[in-house]
Amino acid sequence: MFSRILIANRGEIALRIIRACRELGVETVAVYSEADRGAPYLRLADQSICIGGGPASESYLNIARIISAAEISNADAIHPGYGFLAENAHFAEVCRDCRIEFIGPTPEAMAKLGDKVACKQLAKQNKVPLFPGSEGAVADEDAAVAVAKKIGYPVIIKAAAGGGGRGMRVANNEVTLRAGLRQAQQEAAAAFGNGSVFIEKFLERARHVEVQVLADKHGEAVHLCERDCSVQRRHQKLIEEAPGPGIDAKRRDEVCKAAVRLVKAAKYHGAATVEFLMDEKQNFSMLEVNTRVQVEHPVTELITGLDIVKTMIRVAAGEPMPFKQKDVHIKGHAIECRINAEDVARNFAPSAGVITRFEPPGGPGVRLETHVVTGYRVPPNYDSMIGKLLVHDDDRASAIRRMDRALREFIIEPIKTTIPLHRDLMSDAAFNKGGVDIHYLERLLKK
Amino acid sequence: MVDYRRLKELIKLMTENDLSELELRDQQETVVIKRGGAAAQGVPYIAAAPATALRPAAATDAAPGVEDEEAGLRPIVSPMVGTFYSAPDPESPAFVSVGSNVSPETVVCIVEAMKVFSEIKAECSGRVEKVLVKSGEPVEYGQRLFLVRAA
Repeated sequence: MFSRILIANRGEIALRIIRACRELGVETVAVYSEADRGAPYLRLADQSICIGGGPASESYLNIARIISAAEISNADAIHPGYGFLAENAHFAEVCRDCRIEFIGPTPEAMAKLGDKVACKQLAKQNKVPLFPGSEGAVADEDAAVAVAKKIGYPVIIKAAAGGGGRGMRVANNEVTLRAGLRQAQQEAAAAFGNGSVFIEKFLERARHVEVQVLADKHGEAVHLCERDCSVQRRHQKLIEEAPGPGIDAKRRDEVCKAAVRLVKAAKYHGAATVEFLMDEKQNFSMLEVNTRVQVEHPVTELITGLDIVKTMIRVAAGEPMPFKQKDVHIKGHAIECRINAEDVARNFAPSAGVITRFEPPGGPGVRLETHVVTGYRVPPNYDSMIGKLLVHDDDRASAIRRMDRALREFIIEPIKTTIPLHRDLMSDAAFNKGGVDIHYLERLLKK
Repeated sequence: MVDYRRLKELIKLMTENDLSELELRDQQETVVIKRGGAAAQGVPYIAAAPATALRPAAATDAAPGVEDEEAGLRPIVSPMVGTFYSAPDPESPAFVSVGSNVSPETVVCIVEAMKVFSEIKAECSGRVEKVLVKSGEPVEYGQRLFLVRAA
């Protein structure tokens, strides 16, 4: 096991990792930017090191400074959390060269699953269900049109090097396809340094269902079932839950096993999430693989009773998986609501400033993941998520009631948050029925 | 950590001038002192953000900024994370010491990171009053290395 882990992240996920390390008996080094100076969670680390100015490029994205901090603190491993450098294969390589363990996959495995075209090819070889579409990047406009003719409109154009909803465009016919293609290629080249695009069938009413996988360095991989993350706005998840409502047990089993095959085939170790879209007939098509721990990982921890962050650290240290597939059992239902510092009434405008009143919910089955305390100043430099409120209960209806109860207790003032929106969603008929699609929230907000 | 004597002075200052809230900020820490309400025995509420130096024990580094600003001392801070060296190599004398005169281009120390040795320049003019770090010690971004009395 490592002696000292440096956490190359901030906020709630940094706190999550600090907690896991303390429970494992591993020392922690937190790095922080000037914008995060004085943040209360920093004192929970054994050491903290200022690495630069507020802008992420000067701090949390600055590889040289993070590695220097690891060197002067004698950290033997780095946990990248999510976002920032978590899916940066170059960073993973620099860690390896500096003989610091990157808590995540090897740069090679990360690149293999991170590149959408390469990942699709590996998926095909391992019978992981895919969208009908081009066999890889489209060579030219005519090739794209031929593919679209075969699979039928509407189609979606995606950047091979993109992700998280960026660099995508839907085309309903040949004209918009040709026009969209040119634009997409230009944008992709500018944004990701790679103009390759591919074409997939576009599903109009789909649910986002993802499978959590954990793998060790000894070839073992285990899935922890799925999460349904269909409540989204502009491709950003707002609510996640597990298990996915109404999913047929056999279909679930098939897609989870497929995710495990893919992760094994990439010689991957660590935490990975294989994302799918599920159509109304419960056919799955793989979207992409996230080669890191995800924001919503606690949803899975609640229904399985397993600790994903600790397991990541253990497997990175060379330990075998602490549990086998047969040890994974699902109990009850869990829901997560992301608490963002946003003003829903003003089109989700970020709401920065000092939180003068912070009264978190509690009681049975409530888990709050946040670094925020009374008096905390939300810095303007980073994303607006200030916490995650989770509940766990015996079944979905009870979990929704519990979430509603917890949301009512939760007071954050004076900044605006998504708490009121979540309260509305817990009362919404469609959400209560379950199985909403990925455009549900946007339709609801338009009303 | 905040100097206790200084803290007492500040509390005295607040009480004498009937101040209800005082906030002090410097490179290392922020101290906020709030006096209780009408009650004569109101205990001041003190919240000090932790000194975030690598050594969690008592700080051997800079005194609170208020004093330095008043005295006209300007800090030279580290622009990077790494290990501080006061001399170009173990055999040579230090770049600067207390009493040295510096100008903006004067190299005052080296900070080493990932085997790369970077020369740090004074970027100010004056006389070195205090050397705050020992050679071989780790330094973080923004950490005060020297105090210079402006020319």
